[in-house]
Amino acid sequence: MMQRSTRGAPVRSLDRGADGTQARLLLVEDDERIRQALGLALADEGCEVVEAGSGEEAFDLLETTRVDVVLLDLMLPGVDGLDVCRTLRARGDLPIIIVSARADSADVIEGLEAGADDYVTKPLVASELAARIRALLRRRHPADAARRSLVVGEIEIFPDEEVVRRAGTQVHLTRTEFRLLVELAAAEGRVVTREELLKRVWGYDYFGDTRLLDVHIRRLRRKVERDPDAPESVLTVRGRGYKVSGTA
Amino acid sequence: MPLTLRRRVATAFGLGSLLLTGVLAAATWNLAGDYMLRQREQSAVRQAEVNALLVANSLRSGSEGLGELLAGLTSDSPTSVLLQRPGGWITSGRRIDPTVLPDDLMDEASAGVPASRRLDVDRVPVMAVAVPTGGGSDVFVQLFPLLELHRSLSFLGVVLVAGVASSGFLGFGLGAWASRRALRPLAELTAAASRVASGELHTRLPQYRDRDLAALATAFNDTTEALEARVRRDARFAGDVSHELRSPLTTMTNAAAVLRRRRAELTGAAGQALDLLLSEVARFERMVVDLLEISRDHQQADGPTGEIVDLAELVRNVLAARSRAPIAVEVGAPPPVVQGDRRRLDRIVSNLLDNADRYAGGAVRLAVLRARGRVRIEVDDAGPGVPEDMRERVFERFARGTQAGQRGQGGGSGLGLALVAQHVRHLGGRVWIEDRPGGGARFVVELPEAEH
Repeated sequence: MMQRSTRGAPVRSLDRGADGTQARLLLVEDDERIRQALGLALADEGCEVVEAGSGEEAFDLLETTRVDVVLLDLMLPGVDGLDVCRTLRARGDLPIIIVSARADSADVIEGLEAGADDYVTKPLVASELAARIRALLRRRHPADAARRSLVVGEIEIFPDEEVVRRAGTQVHLTRTEFRLLVELAAAEGRVVTREELLKRVWGYDYFGDTRLLDVHIRRLRRKVERDPDAPESVLTVRGRGYKVSGTA
Repeated sequence: MPLTLRRRVATAFGLGSLLLTGVLAAATWNLAGDYMLRQREQSAVRQAEVNALLVANSLRSGSEGLGELLAGLTSDSPTSVLLQRPGGWITSGRRIDPTVLPDDLMDEASAGVPASRRLDVDRVPVMAVAVPTGGGSDVFVQLFPLLELHRSLSFLGVVLVAGVASSGFLGFGLGAWASRRALRPLAELTAAASRVASGELHTRLPQYRDRDLAALATAFNDTTEALEARVRRDARFAGDVSHELRSPLTTMTNAAAVLRRRRAELTGAAGQALDLLLSEVARFERMVVDLLEISRDHQQADGPTGEIVDLAELVRNVLAARSRAPIAVEVGAPPPVVQGDRRRLDRIVSNLLDNADRYAGGAVRLAVLRARGRVRIEVDDAGPGVPEDMRERVFERFARGTQAGQRGQGGGSGLGLALVAQHVRHLGGRVWIEDRPGGGARFVVELPEAEH
């Protein structure tokens, strides 16, 4: 187990949440030099970085230590990065950002389908990565804070408790899926453009990858729609974005 | 201008069939005309002989009824009857001057041999039959008009000429069709070759069953396959090189970020060297990212695209993400929409804006317009403009225009406009440069409009 403490003078620390502690990242990357450089730079961004050189090592680490976000390379020795991603997702909703040299559409979609919350391609700078991490860890409260719950058709959303029920049964969403749903539900049937969603959920200023959004919408529909191929609640508005139907 | 091969084949077919049917028609005309005339002659002679017998009987009985008989012979048919007696001519039917009868006809009949001639009387074609009668002293002459026969013959003529003409046309048509059929592989080859020339390297010819054509097709297919493999290998090499650069570049940019944060700790030459290093790492990164984009595009066709994009909205978004003060966007009505990969459109707009920033002090006008089923993005700058002879070249890779060598700080990758051209091509559009009214350059991107 390698652990790097924060060095130098971080300009701003990356808050994990309300308690204000630093975000702990698990960096799974087999290239030692990248691991070192990224570790140093992320430490500068105010993160605490735990490093792992393989999927197996990452699993062992997660047994003993708590992290807030996993940064995952896809080309790993031993267990393949995608399998690591699927296993982690099956275990819980720990946020995962894939950091890969593969940039083909098929790879991006496969990575997101494996359960990743975000997908960034190398070369990338730590500051950009830190922005992604910050967006992932940010808790989203609906615009109308007084509101206790949001209703979309037979879906009921409790933003404060981060709980979603469909027809009374609790549905398990990842944090990103949950925030995506809250953003759409809070618009109360108005169209939310792709750019707005990318900005609010993933923190992309612009040039966000729309595949990211498409795959997450697909994942969300699989969980909250009766028939994901004929969605009734989360609707696509051609050329503009998405909206929900049936808000109460 | 020489005739095309197809036209020549068709003409040969037409002339050939014209000649063949012409000969056949001429032969038919002659044989049929001859035969019909002979038939008419024989029946005329037979009838004249019967009539001559009747006249002979009447003469023998010396009866008065000769005139009546002659009148009876001509009453039900448009013939003329003449009887030469030693005392002169007795005629019946249509009035005929006996002098029109040829002398040799009369001489032959007087000699006791029935004879027949064709001749025109008062411009009517007739068959004259002369039969000796009345014990050899008299000659019975009957004239049969041939109008019916002539009418039949001219009708036959018309039919034959029409037949010849239509067979000529038919031959031409057949020739045209046959040559087009025969030359179809050639047309396919031409089309395939021009497709290859326009960059569709996956074009192949079908396997022909004909042995000559199969060899041609195989040769063509082998050539394009080798060409395609070569092009793909070159493209993949660029892509592979760039891909291999991703990992060291990730290390470099992050190490650079750590150093940049501590720039103040280095002074003098070390600090200057660090600045150089940092700016070059940044440029290197941009170059690799652009190279990856340009070579990835070569290797893979577009995935599932066909997203409908509101272009004005997209342009505004790109502008909003830039550090420069945003300028207003002129938008046509209704808002133009295109169908395509949003990331390509983003890149087109932002690369054009980068270009304006780098070489012309920034864009001064941005317009999204529609015209005749096409959508236009216009990016104007107030810079020095682009000279005519450079307007195509600036879209080539690593072309640096008139400002060659002037890379200044934050120089581009040299691929920005090449990427614009490539993405525009992928979206089925065109990009070109015009003079901006009032000085400067206008970059115009024209894309097919999506259906609303």
